[in-house]
Amino acid sequence: MSVLARSVGNAFRNKVRTAAVVAVLAVAIGLALAMLVANQAVAAKVQELNASVGTVLTVNPAGGQGFEGGGEPLTAEQAATAAAVPNVSAVVGTQSLRLRNASEAAAQAASGTGAGPGGWQGGPGGQAAASLTTSLTAAIDAGTLGGRNQAVNGTTGTATQPDRSLPVTATGIGAEVDTTGKVLTITDGTGLGDYTAESSSALLGTTLAEKNSLTVGSTFTITDQTYTVAGLFDAGTTFGNNAVYVTLPTAQTLAGLPGELASMIVTVDSLENVASTKTALETALGTDKADVTQGQNLETALSSLGSVKNISLIAFIAALGTAGLIILLIMVMLVRERRREIGVLKAIGAPNRTIGLQFVLEALVLAALGSAVGAAIASFASGGIASALISTNSTSTTAAPTTGRGAAMAGAAWGPGLPGGGTFPRGEAGPFGGAAQLLTSVTASASPGVIAAGIGSVFGVAIIGALVPALLTARIRPIEVLRGE
Amino acid sequence: MIEVKNLVRTFNSGDRTIKPVNDVSFELGQGTLASIVGKSGSGKSTLLSLLGALDKPTSGDVVVNGVSLASMPDAKLTEYRRRDIGFVFQQFNLIPNLSAVDNVMLPMEFAGIRKAARLQRAKELLVQVQLDPDKHARRINRLSGGEQQRVAIARALANEPKLILADEPTGNLDEQTGDHIIELLSSLSRDHNTTILVVTHDRALANKTDRRFRLQQGNLTEEPVHRPVVSASA
Repeated sequence: MSVLARSVGNAFRNKVRTAAVVAVLAVAIGLALAMLVANQAVAAKVQELNASVGTVLTVNPAGGQGFEGGGEPLTAEQAATAAAVPNVSAVVGTQSLRLRNASEAAAQAASGTGAGPGGWQGGPGGQAAASLTTSLTAAIDAGTLGGRNQAVNGTTGTATQPDRSLPVTATGIGAEVDTTGKVLTITDGTGLGDYTAESSSALLGTTLAEKNSLTVGSTFTITDQTYTVAGLFDAGTTFGNNAVYVTLPTAQTLAGLPGELASMIVTVDSLENVASTKTALETALGTDKADVTQGQNLETALSSLGSVKNISLIAFIAALGTAGLIILLIMVMLVRERRREIGVLKAIGAPNRTIGLQFVLEALVLAALGSAVGAAIASFASGGIASALISTNSTSTTAAPTTGRGAAMAGAAWGPGLPGGGTFPRGEAGPFGGAAQLLTSVTASASPGVIAAGIGSVFGVAIIGALVPALLTARIRPIEVLRGE
Repeated sequence: MIEVKNLVRTFNSGDRTIKPVNDVSFELGQGTLASIVGKSGSGKSTLLSLLGALDKPTSGDVVVNGVSLASMPDAKLTEYRRRDIGFVFQQFNLIPNLSAVDNVMLPMEFAGIRKAARLQRAKELLVQVQLDPDKHARRINRLSGGEQQRVAIARALANEPKLILADEPTGNLDEQTGDHIIELLSSLSRDHNTTILVVTHDRALANKTDRRFRLQQGNLTEEPVHRPVVSASA
């Protein structure tokens, strides 16, 4: 019988105790593996987020953003200045338009409520001409939030107000990207081709197209001009899909603001250069002329994910340490229990290393059994644990800010001053979607590689945990335990 | 050749100092079958432990084939026990969750003998000590006291040691099996030139040895043996 066979046999000497030890170990190892899976999933998500939108900066007119605020509009010259800043790899200008259904606008004007939100006259940097009529009907109902905003902003003494639908956001873009700088996901049809030239083509969000029974090749109007649907896109959100994209020159012409930009999406060549490029852009454009912002909701998301990553790492280490401690204590107990046997083995010539190895292997057998059960536990629990961690952290991170940008970052209501009521997540007007949305898309699955790495760590800890009692066996002198003779 | 020189072993018990082995000296030639008799607590087992390098003397020395055990490091003492000593303990000290054959194979495993060879030898030894072949694979805790005694003797013989130290080897055996074990030990010393030192209360066994010692209050004296010497001492 080899040392290994003897160790396996010893591990099952007391079956009830072995079952209890394995059960306790399995819980610790399962928790450790689940935490490792969560940690790896979050790390992958952080990498993905950084790779996708982490290098994007947004430039808005100083004092203005979207259809809010004031200040001077951005210009094509400023876009050229931004493009010349070191480490800037691309600059995409945008122009925003607010489209109102022509029939509803006429009805509201007749009822005298045009001065409210629906009759909003401001625009980015004071772009009064940016509100246009369209044949399109918004895909989003005003609902309670829209009605609430209407009550706050739209009533001017009139006793009753007609139901109001939300506007449709139209954006002129200089490249095939959305307002966050992410490449548009075209689900049907094609893109707009040359985004730097005027065109009568447009891209529609899937829900907006469905609401208006439009498909690729269908036509609709903005003011009096006819546009053809070149493609449909999926922005991933209901709000994002209630939108129209046209080329930048087209939007500038529609707005009557040639050469003006509502915002610029600046792509930096690497994540490491984002901070320095932001500073350089502020210097080049002037802080009194332009506000340069980073994906702050991305930062919020990354911060939350970082917390989850740290918590999961600490929990992994703690659970691993607990497993090691369990093994250590069990093996110390077994060594004490088998002192006489160890003495006998030494008396008949067993070297210390053989006896030590026997106990280490026995610990590994227990760790292997615990790992097998623990891996099963982790495969079922890791998703739930990761979700719970992320949910807790995203809630605590996004719940705190309730006003201004903080609220918008978390996808909270951006109500006052907006036409038509309803919520207006800043992420749609600004560069990024909500942090909560970014967080909820983390997928934690127990991949074989991660489980193998985790079990490898468990075995490492088991060896360390078993070494101490194994070394204790070297100190046992045979005569001490045989003196009972 | 074993030379025991002025061997002393003391233990402290509270304020008292106990001397179970007090200035013991003797020599045993290779192939000698010797016995030590004495009352319980007279120090017989302590002396056996000192000779088997399980314990270290307070003073004095045991010299085996010219090599002093007193100056040997622990690793060398382990090797000495593995290669040169075969122990038969009074309480057998077998590993309970192993089979009879596995117990006999243990010293050979530690000596690095290949599995097939040690399995064959273990079975031969168990046959030699008259353990029923049906019980070779049986766990120790399912064997009777006498059967365990035989397994313990087989284990002591496993590595063909030069010195066998046996503490009451026939204590748990019936007369017939006891006689067989005595004959086996005699033939080992006679035919294989193995030195055997037996601690026993069994007068019959003591009278079948070449030399007989009596340990009394830590002092060893040699007594005449009441039977002809079976084999010539070296």
